[in-house]
Amino acid sequence: MSTKGTHIPDWLQVPFAGITPAPSQTKGQDLFPTGNWRSIRPVYRDKMPPCNNACGTNEKIQGYLDLVKRGKYLDAYALIKEDMPFPSVTGRVCYHPCEQACNRGQHDEAISIRAVERFLGDLGQALPKDVVVAGPPTGKTVAVVGSGPAGHSAAYQLARLGYSVTILEKSPKAGGLNRGGIPDWVLPQHVLDREIERLVELGVTIQTNTEVGKDVTWDALKNNYDACVLAVGLTEPNSVRADGEDKGGVHYGLPFLRDIGMGTSTVKLGPRVAVIGGGNTAIDCAREAFRQGAQEVTMITVESNTQEMPCVPEDLHDMLEEGVELMHGFAMTAVRGNGTVDALELHPARFTGAINASPIAVNREVAGVNFPVDQVIIAVGQHPSLQWLPAEFKNERGTIAVDAFGRLGNTNFFAAGDIVQIGSGQPLMVVNAVGDGKRVAFNVDRVLRGERLEPRAIPIDVITDLKRMNMTYFPHFPRVAQEMLQAASRRRTQDEVIQAYSEEQAVEEANRCFSCGTCNACDNCYLVCPEPCIVRPERSNGLYKILVDYCKGCRVCIEECPTGCLEGVPELDFDTGVVRMDTAFAITQGLHGRQAKELRELPNLPAKDIENWR
Amino acid sequence: MSYTELTVWTRGIIMDKEGRDIVNSVAAAGRLEGKFAQAMENYVDNPDRTNAPTRKYCRLSDSEIENALTYENEHPSIVVLVEQTMVKGWDYMRGMPPGGTLVINTHYTPDYMLRFVPGPERLAQLVCVDAAKLAEHKWLYYRLGELGLDRLSTEGAAERSKAIAPDIAAPLIAAVVKTTGIVKMETIEPMIANKAAFRAALDELHVLPLGQAVA
Repeated sequence: MSTKGTHIPDWLQVPFAGITPAPSQTKGQDLFPTGNWRSIRPVYRDKMPPCNNACGTNEKIQGYLDLVKRGKYLDAYALIKEDMPFPSVTGRVCYHPCEQACNRGQHDEAISIRAVERFLGDLGQALPKDVVVAGPPTGKTVAVVGSGPAGHSAAYQLARLGYSVTILEKSPKAGGLNRGGIPDWVLPQHVLDREIERLVELGVTIQTNTEVGKDVTWDALKNNYDACVLAVGLTEPNSVRADGEDKGGVHYGLPFLRDIGMGTSTVKLGPRVAVIGGGNTAIDCAREAFRQGAQEVTMITVESNTQEMPCVPEDLHDMLEEGVELMHGFAMTAVRGNGTVDALELHPARFTGAINASPIAVNREVAGVNFPVDQVIIAVGQHPSLQWLPAEFKNERGTIAVDAFGRLGNTNFFAAGDIVQIGSGQPLMVVNAVGDGKRVAFNVDRVLRGERLEPRAIPIDVITDLKRMNMTYFPHFPRVAQEMLQAASRRRTQDEVIQAYSEEQAVEEANRCFSCGTCNACDNCYLVCPEPCIVRPERSNGLYKILVDYCKGCRVCIEECPTGCLEGVPELDFDTGVVRMDTAFAITQGLHGRQAKELRELPNLPAKDIENWR
Repeated sequence: MSYTELTVWTRGIIMDKEGRDIVNSVAAAGRLEGKFAQAMENYVDNPDRTNAPTRKYCRLSDSEIENALTYENEHPSIVVLVEQTMVKGWDYMRGMPPGGTLVINTHYTPDYMLRFVPGPERLAQLVCVDAAKLAEHKWLYYRLGELGLDRLSTEGAAERSKAIAPDIAAPLIAAVVKTTGIVKMETIEPMIANKAAFRAALDELHVLPLGQAVA
């Protein structure tokens, strides 16, 4: 080999052509940059993990699981609190779209993200002081109507931004659907109370027993506050339009649960109870019915099988375990009885469209089934009650007309939660309402600061899927199961059914996370690089660097990256990184015959001149 | 009397043959036209390393070549880069007399590639041709990154080495011959195996004329 064309520093001058300093020699590598062999360049680029993307409020799930892995629970809790005001609540009630999206679900079993979230939420509840503080005061006031998930989330984010927030709640206790729609054996009241305390600690004022349209008028909202977020939710239960639905013994799902949650229930259930509907509220009602004294509970759905029911499969499974019977393909057409319920009349029915919200076709040509019951609970969805809302802000669906930013026309009124999401295709779930509340709060902030509202820039370009990742590095581990009370014992008590993770269990479960598309400092690239051209100051997420002067673009690190964070980008897409080298190795420019002239004459020189030949 | 040097920059192992096909076919066509011609490879570069930069040389002259035993082109007026990334790597413009031609196999435009060229003031034209696409090459050159996965196989290598310019060399030869006229089209075309790509390239060249007149 020669070193033609390469600038050779004095300290590396060698007496004979063909002697190449070894790259391991001190600074020897400076002589031969091999980066110009490369046609693609490895680049660390964190991508969107599917869980974060699927979450209704885009919690940084991969981020907090990674922190839990490393034992940094408080950091993890602080990270979760950026998007989620009450992780202890969603850690219990969330329908976890993140777990459905989890890539690990295609490998063995999805990560139990909700259980880890609950672990962090309970940790946060135990802290004497919350990690979140109110922002520097802006001097502006915002009213939030409703203290359910959307209202809570909006108030929380606005308080963090420094606004003076007042929540107006029509019930005697704050909590909205979190309190009134979710039974105690899923979400104990003291957990929710603590989260609402946290909100008050943040400086939010909560006025209970204050109903818009009765205690506060629209104009009062407009005049007394700089902005207002309407998160009133869907309060009125839907009817099934059956004959005799006004009889005693006919209950509606959400008011039934709400009265129990608020402690104002006077319902005494008989031994036989029927529940109409196949959704999550219907399931909660059926399970609550056992706890309220029912002996036999039958759920009557129009859906022809369990797969079609619009509910969380785990909850359905737990419900069946507790002994609820299912009757598919029937609609209630009449309530029979003299003043109270004696029996229901059922007719075969089906949905006319593909989705559960489509009209129901009832086959009245066959004789109705007489189904004897003592009470019936109807849980077929809710609709809003908006008599107080000026007509100009109502839309054709009977809900609030908002623009893409949740804003009512050009006013400082905004709306969030189920009230705007119904009919939008979004599932009406707690976490979606929280996400909506969060986004609307940021929009309120922009309007009050006089900035323009702009469509949310979605920073998602790639959602990491398994094809981008290297599964060789992930052995199969089963999911850490959450302990549950036995079906026979739990169906008579208000005790929490699903038990919390211990610290060890939470860490073990977080350790199963793939960190899809995100650098988690596994050091794999650092170890597999055949050249020493991946460097890091310390072992930490995203601190790896590539010495492009020496990277040959062999792709080993990219292929071996377990999480798919590393990707190959064509070298020509970069303006930088030009490594000019004349040619491989030659001492001087020009031809070999000429170049070696000094060397050819070298043997003729006296010995002392050979030592100092230059 | 005219004397022209053509230097091809290519990468070891993976596209070594393409570089060799270009210089060999141009030299052979030159001889058919009655010129003195020479084609050789540079072994100083250690070309038997995957991806390593290697050079192939060709010389055409009306009179006998005097420096026939000099194994490098000192003043190439035509330079071909068989792989686009090489534009960033070396001083391939070294020794080029004014009025030179640079041909690059790339899907980028000449305007984009010009920023990487050292000493572009010597160029008469910058020619970009998407040879990998024109030759309908399966994956070897177009998705270079996957090479590391499949370089153990020599399937089809014997058949490939018999034919002249069966792959991406054909459009590159077309680009060289059309833009410089170093040999006549009708002399070289019968040698080329992939005639479809050769002809397609004649219409698909992106030529950026620059300051100098073609030498």
